[in-house]
Amino acid sequence: MKPMKKSVLAALSALALATPALAEEVHVYNWSDYIDEELLVQFEQETGIKLIYDVYDSNEVLETKLLAGSTGFDVVVPSASFLARQIKAGVYQKLDKSKLPNLVNVWPEIAERVSVFDPGNAYSINYMWGTTGIGYNVKKVAEVLGDDAPVNSLALVFDPKNMEKLAECGVHFLDAPDEVIPAALRYLGEDPNSGDVDVIAKAQPVLEAVRPYVRKFHSSEYINALANGEICVAFGWSGDILQARDRAAEADAGIEIDYKIPKEGALMWFDQMAIPADAPNPDGALKFLNFILEPKVAAAASNYVYYANGNKASQQYLNEDVIGDPAIYPDEATIKNLYVKEAYDQKTQRFATRMWTAIKTGN
Amino acid sequence: MSEDAEKGAVPTPAFAPWDDPQAKPLIRFQGVTKKFGEFVAIDDLSLDIYEREFFALLGPSGCGKTTLMRMLAGFENPSMGGITLAGRDIVPVPPNKRPVNMMFQSYALFPHLSVADNIAFGLKRSDMAKSEIAGRVDEMLGLVQLRKFAARKPHQISGGQRQRVALARALAKAPKLLLLDEPLGALDRKLREETQFELMDIQEKLGTTFVIVTHDQEEAMTVASRVAVMDNGRLVQVDTPERIYEFPVSRYVADFIGDVNLIEGRIETLTKDCATVVWAETMPPITAGLPQGIGAGEACVFAIRPEKVTISAERPPDAVNALPGKVLDIGYLGNMSTYHVELANGQVIKSQMTNQRRLARRAFSWEDQVWVSFTATGGLILMA
Amino acid sequence: MFNFRRFFLISVPYIWLLLLFLVPFGIVLKISLSDSALAIPPYSPTFDLSAGWAGFREMWAAFDFENFLWLVDDSLYIKAYLSSVWIALVSMILTLLVGYPIAYGMAKAPEEWRPTLMMLIILPFWTSFLIRVYAWIGILGSQGYLNQFLLWIGVIDEPLVLLNTSLAVYIGIVYTYLPFMVLPIYATLEKLDGDLLEAAEDLGCSRISAFWLITVPLSRPGVIAGCFLVFIPVVGEFVIPSLLGGSRTLMIGKVLWDEFFANRDWPLASAVAVILLLILIIPIVLFQRQQQRAQEAGQ
Repeated sequence: MKPMKKSVLAALSALALATPALAEEVHVYNWSDYIDEELLVQFEQETGIKLIYDVYDSNEVLETKLLAGSTGFDVVVPSASFLARQIKAGVYQKLDKSKLPNLVNVWPEIAERVSVFDPGNAYSINYMWGTTGIGYNVKKVAEVLGDDAPVNSLALVFDPKNMEKLAECGVHFLDAPDEVIPAALRYLGEDPNSGDVDVIAKAQPVLEAVRPYVRKFHSSEYINALANGEICVAFGWSGDILQARDRAAEADAGIEIDYKIPKEGALMWFDQMAIPADAPNPDGALKFLNFILEPKVAAAASNYVYYANGNKASQQYLNEDVIGDPAIYPDEATIKNLYVKEAYDQKTQRFATRMWTAIKTGN
Repeated sequence: MSEDAEKGAVPTPAFAPWDDPQAKPLIRFQGVTKKFGEFVAIDDLSLDIYEREFFALLGPSGCGKTTLMRMLAGFENPSMGGITLAGRDIVPVPPNKRPVNMMFQSYALFPHLSVADNIAFGLKRSDMAKSEIAGRVDEMLGLVQLRKFAARKPHQISGGQRQRVALARALAKAPKLLLLDEPLGALDRKLREETQFELMDIQEKLGTTFVIVTHDQEEAMTVASRVAVMDNGRLVQVDTPERIYEFPVSRYVADFIGDVNLIEGRIETLTKDCATVVWAETMPPITAGLPQGIGAGEACVFAIRPEKVTISAERPPDAVNALPGKVLDIGYLGNMSTYHVELANGQVIKSQMTNQRRLARRAFSWEDQVWVSFTATGGLILMA
Repeated sequence: MFNFRRFFLISVPYIWLLLLFLVPFGIVLKISLSDSALAIPPYSPTFDLSAGWAGFREMWAAFDFENFLWLVDDSLYIKAYLSSVWIALVSMILTLLVGYPIAYGMAKAPEEWRPTLMMLIILPFWTSFLIRVYAWIGILGSQGYLNQFLLWIGVIDEPLVLLNTSLAVYIGIVYTYLPFMVLPIYATLEKLDGDLLEAAEDLGCSRISAFWLITVPLSRPGVIAGCFLVFIPVVGEFVIPSLLGGSRTLMIGKVLWDEFFANRDWPLASAVAVILLLILIIPIVLFQRQQQRAQEAGQ
C-alpha cells in the first residue's frame, strides 16, 4: 500500500476521457490504496470495458454489504478467512475457468494454501498475500531491551517481561481476534487453527498478562504511530508495517522501522478476488480477473503495493526491492513455517469476540 | 405681581419641609456630575429630598432622571460630587448594603419564585429571623391585597397584580427610601389612575420616602409632593405640582407640563405692577404680571394655559386682554371642549371651556367670529 | 366538518415519525427477534412476501427472545450499558462545567460581539467531525503539539501519555459536544433580564449570590436542554472512544459494532440497539416534558 500520489490524477482523467465511447462496465470494489491506478487505465484500453473502481478499508464493511445483498459489484477482494464463510453463505459464484487462461501462471504453493478457505480454488484467485508479524523501531527497541532483543520471536510481544519494558515506548496490537489469538496459541505451542473453544481459551491468560502493556488495540493506527515514533512495537500486518517503514524513511527523522516474521511462524493471510453471485457483469469480471493474472500486471501491482502476489510467473518481472525483501517474499523455509487459519463458525466466533472484549477491557 | 400675591394664589400645603430652613434633608445631591464616556448624563446637580416626601423626577427620555435614580440605588456612581443619605455618604456603599429599595419599570419579578417568595426574597437576605419573615410577607400581601395569590408564579397573575407584587417586594424590607422607576408605565390608563391613588395611600400609610421617575407629567402631578423637571442632565425647576403648573420658570417647563399657548414677543413697558408685551403689529399688546429677569425692550414669550382663555361672541367690556379671531377647530372631550381660534395675524390660540350646556345648544361653531380674552394674572411672561 | 388542510398539516409530522422512526425501529425489532444465520441476509426467518399470510405466521412463530436473554446472561452487555451511561454522565458534567462559563461570557459580552462569538462556537461544525477528532490525535500524541509545548516550556521532561486514555476520550467528547451545551444555555442567559440581577442586588444579594439565586435557576431550562443534547448521543458514541480512547474504554456503541461487524450477528446487534433505545427513551421523554413545561411557562 504505497502512497499513490503521482498517478491518481492522470489515471482518473484518463478514465474520464475514455468514458463516453464505452458501453460495457465492470464494477470493482477493492481495498483502498491497493493497486497501481495505471493498471486500471491499461485494462480499459485493452478490453474496451469501462472500469468503475471503488474502495473500502475493512473486511467487515465489505462483508456487511455483501450479506445485505445487491451490491452491484462484479469483483470484490475479501481476505480468505472472510471469503470462506461468505462462500458458505452463498455470496459468490463459481469461476468459469475456461475464461481464465492465465490461471496457468498461478503459484501452486499459494493456491494450495488458499484451498483451505476456497476448496479447489473454485470461487477466487489470489491477488496479494502477506503475513502477520512484528514491526518495531530498531533503535528504541535496542535501547529498551538491549541489542539482543528477541525481535524475531513472538516472545517479544507475548512475554510480559519484555512487554513491561516495551510499554514505556509504546506497543500496539491489531484489534483482530482472528489474528492475535492464533499467534498466542502458536506461542504456547497449540494449534493456531483450532476451532475448539477450550483451546482458544488458553490464549486468554497469555494475552491478559501482556494486556496492561498494550497501549492500544487498533488495526490501522499503528502505521502512523510507528512511522512517527509514537510507538516502538506493533503486532500487525506485513504490508502496513512496510508502509510505516517507508514513511519513516521518507520523513528522514532518524526513525528506522523493520518487519520480522517470528521464528515460531506467522499467520499467512490472502486477499482473494471473487465474483458475487448477483454480479451484473460476470463476463466482464472474469476478463478483469484474467487481466490481473497476467504476469506483468501482477508484477506491476506488487511493485506498487509492496506485497507478494500468488502469481509465480510474475516473479521475473518484480523489482529487486520487492522480490529480494524477505519481509515480502520470505525464503522457502520460512514459508513452510507459516500457518493459515480458517474462519471460526458462528458460536466460536462469538466466543472469540467475547474473549477478546474481555481481554481488551478487563471485563 | 408681588411675592405675597403668588403665595395667595396657591394655598401652602401643610407638609412642606423644603420651606423649613431647620429641616434636614434625607437625601442630598451635592454638585453631582455623571459622565458616560464623553456624554454628560448629570451636569453639576444639587438637590435635597426630605423624609416622607413623594418626590417625582420628571423629564423626557434621556434627560438624566433614570441615571439620578440609579445613583440612589447604587447601580451607578457619580463621576464628581457627593450623595448623602440621612447624613451618611452613600457613594462607596454597594447596592445590596443600602437602605434603599427599588421598584423596577419591568417589575423584575423573579419568574422562578412564587409571589410570596418574591416578597420574602429581600427579607431572607437580611438578618430577619426566619419566623418573622412569614409574618412580614403576609403583612405585605395584605397591604397590596394579594393574599389569595401568594402561591402563584408571576406568569400566573395579571399585569396589575404583578405591579403590586413588585411594590410589596420593594417595601418588604421597610427601606428608608423607595425608588419607583416608571412604576405604572405598563398599565392601561384606567388601571394606572386607580393605582396612582393606591400608591399615594400606601406612601401616606407607611411614611416611607418615595422617589418616582416618570415621563408622564400627569402622573407626576397627581402623586408627588414635589416635582423636579429635568432637561439635559440639569434640574430646570423643583417645586410643588401646583406651582410648577401655575408658575413655570421657563418656556421649557411651561411647554412640558400641560397644554399651553406660547406667544413670542418683546417687552414694551414695565410699570410697578404690570408689563405689556408687543407681539404683532396689527394686534393690541398683551398686559400681564411683572416678569423676572427680563428688561424692557427684550425678547420674551408669553405663556397662558388654555383653560385661562375665555371665548365670547362679543368683546367682554372689562377684559384687560381681548383679541378677535375665528373658530378653526373644536375638540370635544366630553366634559370640556378645546377651541382653536385663529387670530387675524394667523396665530392660533387654544381655549378650553367646560361644557356646562348640552352639545346642541353650544354657543360656538366652526368659522364663527369670536373674541378670546384673559386676565392680566392669567398668563406669565417668560424668557424667550 | 372535516378539514382536509388541517388534517394534512397534522399528519405530516406523524408520517415523518412513522417513516423515519417507527418503520426502521420495527425492522430492527424484527431482526432482534430472529436468529443469526450464514445466509443473505445473515438471519432467519426472513419475511417472504410471496408466501402471504401463511408466510407471515411462519415468521411470527420463529420469533423468540433468545438474544435478549443472552444480553442479560452475559454481564458484558450490562457493564457496557452502565459504562456508557457513566461516561455520558461524566462527559455531560464536564461539558456543562466548560460550557456554562462560555455561554455566560457570551451572554455578558457587548451586544455587537455576540454574533461573532456565536459564529466562533458554530464554526467548527463546518469542518468534518472526523477531521476535528483526528486533529486531537495530532495534539495529544506523545510527539503531539501539546507535549512539544509542555516540553518546550519545561513543565515536563518526558512526553505525557494522553492519547488513548480516558482523558483523551473526555477531551474529545467535551470538545465535540460543547456547542450543544453552550447554545441552549446561551439562549436562556441572553434572554435573562438584567433588571432581575439588579433587583436581586437591590434586595440585598451580593453579585455572587445573585448569580446562584437568579442566574443559575433561570438558566435551568438551557442547562437541562444542553445536558440532554450531550447525554443522549454520547451514550451511543462510537467514533470518539475508538479514535481517541484506549481499548479499555468499554462502550455500548463499540459492543454493538463488534456484534454487527466482527460477529456478523445482526440479531444480537439489533437486540443491543433495541435495549439502548429503551434506555435512551427515558431521558428523551423527560426532556420532552421539560421542554413542554418551559414552553408553557414562557407563554
